[in-house]
Amino acid sequence: MAERDPAGSGSQAYLWRLHRILALYVLGVLGFLLLMTWAESQGLSRHWIGPIFLFLSVMVYAGIGVYGRTTDAEEYYVAGRRIPPMYNGMAAAADWMSAASFISLSGALYLQGFSGTPGHAGGLAYLLGWTGGFCLVAILVAPHLRAMGLYTVPDFFHVRFGGRWPRIIAALAAVVCSFIYVVAQIYGVGLIASRLTGVQFEIGIMLGLGGVLLCSFLGGMRAITWTQVAQYVVVLLAFLIPVSWLAYKQLGNPVAPFMYGKQVGKIADLEAQLLASPAEYQVVAAYLERARDFEARLQNVEIALVEERVAIQDKIRRLRAQNADVGLIVTASRELAALPRDVETARERWTRQMHENYERAQPLGGLPPHSRAYAGYPDGTPEEQQSYTETRRNFLALMFCLMVGTAGLPHLLTRYYTSPTVAGARSSVAWSLFFIALLYLSAPALAVLVKFEVMNNLVGSSFDALPNWMAQWARVDASLLSIEDMNGDGIVQFGEIRLGADLIMLATPELGGLPYVVSGLVAAGGLAAALSTADGLLLTISNALVRDLYFQSKPRPATPEQRVILTKFTLLAVALMAAFVAALKPSDILPLVTASFSLAGSAFVPVMVLGIFWRGTTRQGAVAGMLCGLGVAMYYMLSHVPGLRAVLPPWLLADGLWFGIQPISAGVFGVPAGALSAWLVSWLTRPAPPRPVIRSEL
Amino acid sequence: MQSPHTSEAELARPFPPDLHDVRHLWLKAGLLLAWALVSFGAMYFARDLESLVVGSWPLGYWIAAQGGLLVFIAIVVVYCWAMNRFERQDAQRAAAAAQVPPALDAAAPRFHG
Repeated sequence: MAERDPAGSGSQAYLWRLHRILALYVLGVLGFLLLMTWAESQGLSRHWIGPIFLFLSVMVYAGIGVYGRTTDAEEYYVAGRRIPPMYNGMAAAADWMSAASFISLSGALYLQGFSGTPGHAGGLAYLLGWTGGFCLVAILVAPHLRAMGLYTVPDFFHVRFGGRWPRIIAALAAVVCSFIYVVAQIYGVGLIASRLTGVQFEIGIMLGLGGVLLCSFLGGMRAITWTQVAQYVVVLLAFLIPVSWLAYKQLGNPVAPFMYGKQVGKIADLEAQLLASPAEYQVVAAYLERARDFEARLQNVEIALVEERVAIQDKIRRLRAQNADVGLIVTASRELAALPRDVETARERWTRQMHENYERAQPLGGLPPHSRAYAGYPDGTPEEQQSYTETRRNFLALMFCLMVGTAGLPHLLTRYYTSPTVAGARSSVAWSLFFIALLYLSAPALAVLVKFEVMNNLVGSSFDALPNWMAQWARVDASLLSIEDMNGDGIVQFGEIRLGADLIMLATPELGGLPYVVSGLVAAGGLAAALSTADGLLLTISNALVRDLYFQSKPRPATPEQRVILTKFTLLAVALMAAFVAALKPSDILPLVTASFSLAGSAFVPVMVLGIFWRGTTRQGAVAGMLCGLGVAMYYMLSHVPGLRAVLPPWLLADGLWFGIQPISAGVFGVPAGALSAWLVSWLTRPAPPRPVIRSEL
Repeated sequence: MQSPHTSEAELARPFPPDLHDVRHLWLKAGLLLAWALVSFGAMYFARDLESLVVGSWPLGYWIAAQGGLLVFIAIVVVYCWAMNRFERQDAQRAAAAAQVPPALDAAAPRFHG
């Protein structure tokens, strides 16, 4: 994988050698899988399989990183601009498919169906948004940027508009959106590492971080490119093997994307059955009762807390008096210890639990029917009509933000700087989309197959015979998986299972009864997806900080090698900071990533496209456009963060939702605001037309 | 301020983009229209397309899950193919122009994109 030779650049021989190395590598990965399967059948313990996959894959990436180490600036920033389009496409695909795509996408499709719930757009908008954006990249952005021979995205703003401010603002915007994105990736790494090795979440983060740093720290873009090619292979295999397996099991044909239409219909039938099932209604009633209980407690938290404590103490006393089983007494004492310590925490926790229970107290556990577009009905009651138009509007808005954000994310655009020619940049985009589609076409199939598996097999099984993996995942984090016998009949109902979006892909092999080796492979794939994106992002952030901010603000004497070394250490610092933020578990993966797309789209795309296609864009216009776009998007997002709402005075914040658009789709307002202000200010500050020559002979 | 000894010192002043070839702009506009139709257009009417069942698929769901993605690939591939073709034509014309008297060949500006 790690072989490259400047002399052979562009030539057929160079390409063939790359193909050969890739083929050997794929064979190697497959051979390793077979070896592990054999070892498992010979009795290799599960405690070893996970760590072996994690450790070996990280070592391979690190090995490529060490092999590709460089301090040459051209190599470090743009991989010497001689990556053939197909490999560039693969690397871009790995760069692109983050933990959000690999871990969360199928889960989101499972939970949100076609378009998500009224308060939470999603579903297939992610799929369309993350692929449709490539049309914009190919047609409007990438070839033009490649033609300018740049190193970073802020370079474009510098070269096109001149002056300091366009570049500084672009660099800061690049840092902000990439940082949010990288936090989500590192969170994903922590999730996988802690499940596979059983270490704490925080230690898992540190382990994964070591892998990221080994390749981006040493080799820059050159090492990252080849690492990403290696990671793409792992990601693709890790996704396709479980999907094909499930498809073969359910449909008798492993080509899932073409075959799963049948299951879509069957799920609709099962959903109708579940909606009519009395046991499901008992579950809904039980959740409703519990939610009402929390609501009642919230009426007077202090008294409720005291009553609760007394009740449990009574129970313990009674159990002791009866000489009951020690286990029961221990459980009761744990319950006592787990009670909220003061009124404030009690109010916060109970409010959250009340909302959770209300959410689950809906038919199908609050999940929308799988294949129905949008909630509500276009010709139903006024509420249903409103719910229909709002889910549709939010679906389109989310799709728009993801598409435009794709065309603005700096770590993706810099990938196309590495291709040898402008034509190469164009075909690189096409290859990227192809390689991404290989996986994305299977993602909705996986969601459908898993849902069928759950509805058909898990629902109706007995609580005593629950599979092992459920308990293991519930232990990692209760928000990932919870299952509880609400109506006390000992049988699993659909409403009683709740799977987190980040869990479904990782648990698929176990759900489908695949060998544990496949679980290891899936986890390695998730790790590869998260690491490859984190690599690209960290490099983008550190380049923006060092190249675009530090060295542009003042003339500084430094050789290119010194600059590269400084970039490396900035990268280290940024990575540690991101790990620190990720350890605080700020949010789920998908909302973080979506927010970063909204910001990138608003900050970069309007000004970049205007700058490329309209000669009249001025420097002032560019500055105004970027500030305005970024400002509007950030303002709308931050206005709806609960923490800030409590602190800041209400007149400072946006007044409710604008047009019912959810805050993560803030790009819908940011992009037009940026375009409009860039156009207006450019027009106001247009240079005077050349004066007619005054004839002096008069 | 730019440091005079950096390698990109010659890039320090802004330059307006090259003028775009009209054929390229029409190509872009057409493909972007197709892009908007299949993503925003089809999704706006997704509920109405649902009742059409093609094979075992509800059409609205199929476009969102697969059809849209396939069209996006087609758009990008067509763009690559057409731009390469335009560039080949431009190169041939420039080569032909180089053989005729030099007064004519100033009319071949540099295009890209």
